[in-house]
Amino acid sequence: MSERRTGWLLVVVLVCQLVILSLQAPAAGAGGNFLESVVLRVLAPLTRAVALATGGVSWVAEGFTRQRRLVAENRELRARVEALELDLTQLRGVEADLEQLASDLDYQVPPGGRPRPADIVYIDHASWLRTLVVYVGDGAVERNQPVVAAAGLVGRVVLVAPPYAKVQLITDRTAAVGAMIERTRRQGVVGSGADGLELDYLPRQADVRPGDRVITSGIDGIYPRGIPVGTVASVEPADELFYRIRLDPAIDFGLLDRVYILSRPPLPEPLRHPGAG
Amino acid sequence: MRVTRFLAALALVVLAHALGLRLIPGFSQAVDLFLVLVVLNALNGNSATALLGGLAVGVAQDALTGGLFGLYGCADTIIGYGAARASQRLVIERATGVLPLAAVASVVQQAIVVGLATVMLPDPHLPAPIWLAVRAATSGLLGVIAYSAAGWWRNSSDRRRRRRRDRLQMD
Repeated sequence: MSERRTGWLLVVVLVCQLVILSLQAPAAGAGGNFLESVVLRVLAPLTRAVALATGGVSWVAEGFTRQRRLVAENRELRARVEALELDLTQLRGVEADLEQLASDLDYQVPPGGRPRPADIVYIDHASWLRTLVVYVGDGAVERNQPVVAAAGLVGRVVLVAPPYAKVQLITDRTAAVGAMIERTRRQGVVGSGADGLELDYLPRQADVRPGDRVITSGIDGIYPRGIPVGTVASVEPADELFYRIRLDPAIDFGLLDRVYILSRPPLPEPLRHPGAG
Repeated sequence: MRVTRFLAALALVVLAHALGLRLIPGFSQAVDLFLVLVVLNALNGNSATALLGGLAVGVAQDALTGGLFGLYGCADTIIGYGAARASQRLVIERATGVLPLAAVASVVQQAIVVGLATVMLPDPHLPAPIWLAVRAATSGLLGVIAYSAAGWWRNSSDRRRRRRRDRLQMD
């Protein structure tokens, strides 16, 4: 092919890609298109093979110290299970009271969402463009379903390419989570700043201090209320009106091994954006 | 045959990248194996195949990264074409000649990705400059290693073929 034709080919390819980029830009992070889905379906099995292989190698390498470690871990887990069962009994009582109150007031309690486990096959949480790919198997997964771990919120599903799904982490540049200070119920928006997670739009008169737990507020139509997001690390004035609040995430993304997808369907698009028609 | 070899190389890069991330969480900040493949594919000077190769590699890299789909597709397409045009004008006889080409390609690629992200995303929080420099250096080094390894593999394949031919002729 002559250089002139190659030059034209370059222009055509670049224009097509810029069009694809432009179509995504207004809804950055909400994305996912057919080509991305197809490519992910081709590449994800390779990353899954690596995940399985490295898991197997770690298992063999730890074999020599496994028994001693397992005995200690067993003892610790028994104690934790006992404590959790106690909490569960108390929470069941609270749930029964809540249902009774809801029934008396004729109020329908919103569903919390059943968690479905998903294995992580690829995670890049440190680089500038962060992502997580999970293996969901045969189960149905929808875009915008919340993804959590035992310790707290991980992100949401942005692309479904069965049997895999791509997850936008809450530390992603384009992610935003409706959140609130657990102690005071003061609401704000958690996003990714230059130095990590930040809680934005808290006015200077708000009562907030380091150590406060931040949980999801449930008002963004995606994440149910009450999932831990992080802990307030520092509070500084950003300007005359608002604070600059840095958070320590509830999740250590470097130690994530398995996540759970909540099956609660998200709010329908017209209700999330009423003015969009 | 050439396409098969390229796709096999891409699969190998994906495996190595995934393995690297498993072992070192910050692997993708410091190392870009996809770019090394784009540059090596462009060294034969054919700008059409280099451009298309860059597109394929960029699309694969986009599928495995967050943010907008197409950032690396755009960047690697330009890098593939640019590297091929540079190869037409430069004579790269030694592996060390690949180092500056891959390092410059890395800097240009990151400039394109950052530029596009700045335009397309609200408040993109750009990567720290130190990592741009580290990536350029590692890309250069890996390019040298991969070029040397490819050359060694080609030479040993040729030797094996010659030996087989000589044996057949003797028989």
